[in-house]
Amino acid sequence: MADVFQAGVLTLTGGAARPACSAVEDEVVALFDEYREPLLRYLTTFGVCAADAEELLQDVFLALFLHLRGGKSRANLRGWLFRVAHNLALKRRQRDRGGAVAGLPAPAQTPDPAPNPEDQLLHGQLQKRLAAAYRALPERDRRCLWLRAEGLNYREIAAVLEISLGAVALSLARSLARLERCAER
Amino acid sequence: MARDPHLSDPQLLMELEGELSRRAATKIGRHLAACGKCRARRRALEAMIADWTRLQRTAVALPSGDGPRALLRARIGRLGPPPAGPARGALAHGKLTLAACALIVLAAAMVKHSSPRPVWAAAVPDARLTPGATLRATRESVCAQPNTKNRAVPVALRRKVFESYGLRDASPRDFEVDYLITPALGGADDIHNLWPQPYRSTVWNAEVKDALEDRLRDLVCGGALDLSEAQREIAADWIAAYKKYFHTDRPLEPR
Repeated sequence: MADVFQAGVLTLTGGAARPACSAVEDEVVALFDEYREPLLRYLTTFGVCAADAEELLQDVFLALFLHLRGGKSRANLRGWLFRVAHNLALKRRQRDRGGAVAGLPAPAQTPDPAPNPEDQLLHGQLQKRLAAAYRALPERDRRCLWLRAEGLNYREIAAVLEISLGAVALSLARSLARLERCAER
Repeated sequence: MARDPHLSDPQLLMELEGELSRRAATKIGRHLAACGKCRARRRALEAMIADWTRLQRTAVALPSGDGPRALLRARIGRLGPPPAGPARGALAHGKLTLAACALIVLAAAMVKHSSPRPVWAAAVPDARLTPGATLRATRESVCAQPNTKNRAVPVALRRKVFESYGLRDASPRDFEVDYLITPALGGADDIHNLWPQPYRSTVWNAEVKDALEDRLRDLVCGGALDLSEAQREIAADWIAAYKKYFHTDRPLEPR
């Protein structure tokens, strides 16, 4: 009996395409584990709630699966992920026009937060001032700063936002100067 | 107007990033070596980026990724195999992408229509609420544990499951909160892995699912089936998995 089922399973997993697919799936899931949190944080800056951000993220990684399974470029997948997430979030926002203004997301948007969410967010005067300065930045500057803080390099940021390398440096310089002024107040 | 003899912030940032041309890097490097004010400014920029990064990382509390990871695996599984044979050109891939997009849009539309609560409990859970969630378990660790059945779900968690399915007013005696991916296959004690299964359920009831779980566990521990594949199949559609592994369209009589 066991042999019969063993054989059935072997035909399922032993075909030519399956191992490759399974390897791609494992690679996608590993990338999901690595980048889920930074991508979720980035998506919430578009004013989408945490549940919608999770949903968008599923679409991002399904697209990644198709991208990799189609044998397309593996160069700079981190930049690729942020770019796709960015574009999907923009589309979502266009669809739900009138959504919340992007900013530092409020803890209430997270359905199942860790204990003491209030403690996690903006405790202390300095953090409050920085957050206020951040919210007052133009949208592109906010995105540049956010992506930089998530560890993207300037080239990756330039590709996500479709701006030049010089524009990234100018934007960050503006934002950092604003944050600095507010921190000193 | 006299030109500022010091480096601008964008220049310092490009220098920090290593994105200056060789000529500019030499020139700016020379200036930095000689100018304490510009070195201090560079340090201040670095410190500001670090401060902001710390703030940003703690600004959003994120729930566990176990459920979303299992959902992703299930959705990848539902995409089906890639187009076979020579039809692997750009057109074929485009069609596949289109099909996948259509699937995503369809799924999104279904989710949109199905989201008003209550979501009624059934033999198969709502994939959005209960996609399945697993621990980071290996085959060895799963098979080393005894195959325990009917592990009790903590009361608070059970209540949350009822609430998520809009069953606040229903009698808990009518439903059993069941694991989608059984702990005996690495399933997690997580709300994404639990759903209210009606006691009076249909032919596809908890007993039938138990038989499937035993079968899958035997296959996994016998080395005939990947643990992740078993988890994915049971999470994607346990009834389909039963039909597949028992070669039947109806539940077999219990022995």
